[in-house]
Amino acid sequence: MIELDRRTREMIEEVRELGRLHIRQMGLDADQSAMPPPVDHEFYYICARQDGLVSRMVGADEGSGALDWKPFRNFLVGEEAAYWDRGVALSLPGPGLGGPAMRSTATPEQRQRFLEVFTDHSKPRWGAMAMTEPGAGSDVARIATRARKDGDEWVLTGQKMFCSNSARAEWVVVWATVDPSLGREGHRAFVVERGMPGFEILKIEHKMGSRGYETASFTLDDVRVPAENLLGGEEFYQSRAGFKASMATFNMTRPLHTAHGVGMGRAAHDFALDFVKAEYPKHSRRRQLAMERLARIRRGLHTARLMYLNAVWLAKTGKSNALEASYAKMYSPPIILEAVTAALEILGEAGVRNDKMLEKLYRDVKILDIGEGTQQVQRVVVARQLFDFPRDK
Amino acid sequence: MRDFTLAPEIEELQAAAERLARTELEPNVRDAEAAGRWPDAVLDVLDGFPLGGLDLPEELGGVGAGATAKVVALETLAHADASGLAGADRPGPTVGAVMACPDRDLAAQVAATGLDRSAQAALTVIDPEHGAHELPWGPGLPPLRWIWVSEGDTLRLHEVAGTPTPVQVLAFQASAPVSIAYADTVMRGSWSLGPRTSLDVRSRARLWGAAVAVGIAQAALEETIEYATDRIVFGKPVAHHQGNAFDLAAAAAGVHGARLVVRDAAAAYDREEPDAGFWATQAWLEAMDAAFRATNTGIQLLGGHGFIADHLAEKRFREARMLALSVGGRDCAEADVATFVLDIEDPLTAGRELS
Repeated sequence: MIELDRRTREMIEEVRELGRLHIRQMGLDADQSAMPPPVDHEFYYICARQDGLVSRMVGADEGSGALDWKPFRNFLVGEEAAYWDRGVALSLPGPGLGGPAMRSTATPEQRQRFLEVFTDHSKPRWGAMAMTEPGAGSDVARIATRARKDGDEWVLTGQKMFCSNSARAEWVVVWATVDPSLGREGHRAFVVERGMPGFEILKIEHKMGSRGYETASFTLDDVRVPAENLLGGEEFYQSRAGFKASMATFNMTRPLHTAHGVGMGRAAHDFALDFVKAEYPKHSRRRQLAMERLARIRRGLHTARLMYLNAVWLAKTGKSNALEASYAKMYSPPIILEAVTAALEILGEAGVRNDKMLEKLYRDVKILDIGEGTQQVQRVVVARQLFDFPRDK
Repeated sequence: MRDFTLAPEIEELQAAAERLARTELEPNVRDAEAAGRWPDAVLDVLDGFPLGGLDLPEELGGVGAGATAKVVALETLAHADASGLAGADRPGPTVGAVMACPDRDLAAQVAATGLDRSAQAALTVIDPEHGAHELPWGPGLPPLRWIWVSEGDTLRLHEVAGTPTPVQVLAFQASAPVSIAYADTVMRGSWSLGPRTSLDVRSRARLWGAAVAVGIAQAALEETIEYATDRIVFGKPVAHHQGNAFDLAAAAAGVHGARLVVRDAAAAYDREEPDAGFWATQAWLEAMDAAFRATNTGIQLLGGHGFIADHLAEKRFREARMLALSVGGRDCAEADVATFVLDIEDPLTAGRELS
């Protein structure tokens, strides 16, 4: 069972209310128009205001720009937001996936400088993080975006894709390599700011589902970045332990995927449950079978939730969670897909009409088994940790 | 907030169980199975814990350490050898029946005979639509005296009057399995409990089996990895062939998830959550899947070696299957959770409304 403190419960209630009022409809609208909600949507202003959701999720100490990490709360709130629409949940203003890199890698001065923008509550603002490239997805060691030093500047050249919210971001944490032959040891993180010459958004991707947030591709055409935008500074990357710790922050994005998946699975479950209660005659064989399927969904979702909370707890208590994060990531997507599939089958053909939401969920959930490392990649990661499964030469 | 840390006293218990498992159980697994019982030295130590009294309330003669302490102890012991657990743990799987029995004096008497090692008790589930004329198997050492029967919403207690017959069963041979016809028993009581309490009777027994299954599954996983990283086929270790690696990774994730849900359900009982029985049966289903997957993968990757008695893979494969047939089996468990699923609130969303 999940024990929630008062503030977390209040925030979940708040998200639920926002979900009813805004999030679900925004997701449906985005799905219909195949465009993410506009940056000036009322919902984003509500979230960005001083007492709004974003500042409390980030828990920013506004004076220093430090990030006070509240992972349990953020993950549970993330699950609830994804219940209403995962795409819109991913489009929430704030540092986004750039936040973990800021927390683990940035110097205090950099945190002050780049996070201060989020203390201006007059309008919503976004941060972003870019790793994936056309030729490097799950295998991030293959990224080819080059970084070369030129005097007091770094020059970035390459192309990034599948970058959430980058077209509306104030800055993007861009991962590049100083030498591809070094693999991940050669990686550096730079903060590329909006408007820097050579930083050009190519397109917003058209996706099968999860259309509530923008997924952008951009090019870096000899973008000149000042040396002080190298996240963590030069010394940081000379310390292998520090760099590994930085990379370990990615172990938090896999459980977040699972949290989102649990929210989406719950949404499917609840649609089906309400349908069964209303439409299936009591004591009918069909109702009994549906209830057994619902129970299976509940079991899978409950297990997946405990798995992501366990991975978060390990990280919060300073323990390695690489294995458990991958367990959660590989376990949950098939369960979530099964939940949506079962819900569709319980509703029957009525479920495939797009005014029923379930057909959208069916399109939305598939990305969970792809993003942040596919099912197959997670198994490779687990195998490497459990029994030293070899890397290809 | 959710905390996955074990209490210090449970960690101590776990460490003691590990010592016992390593020194007394692991070296004697096959001998115990052949002898039909665990060595007296082991039983003496377990009675001193006391294993049977861990999750039994003090008013019923137990130590009231709680369900979490119990599942951790069971996982640890089953990791070494599960075969004698059904006999060594008294009241063991019947604890839910003992706690639910409205006749407190009788329940305490039954529990006491288990704790003092004078009598054994079994729990069985009977489908009201089909009935049953015999207990298929129950632990027989010390002598089987009590049979708790969960039939629909009714709980009955039978006292053995005849002589139980030793039987060969698929697994758990070190629990000295016996069978007896109900005609050779005397019914000591019959109580209508209501659906929730009846679910608890079965769910506490399932929690027992789920914890044992997690221990078996973890051991199977470890043995398989050890073998599969050592044995070379087609030029590289068995585990380094991607198809095998993927199976092992999936099995490992399943065991991890099962352990989490089993401990979570135990914690729900310790907090006296009203839905603990629902989650315990869910945990049982999850653990049975995980145990079957881990033990089946184990046999598969050991190949012919998994099929012979030189390794424990075949024993764990049998044990996992037998656990999944207990307490009414999978169909009964699925039906139990289905009965309640429409009314169980998600803890995160209590009071939710759909748009």
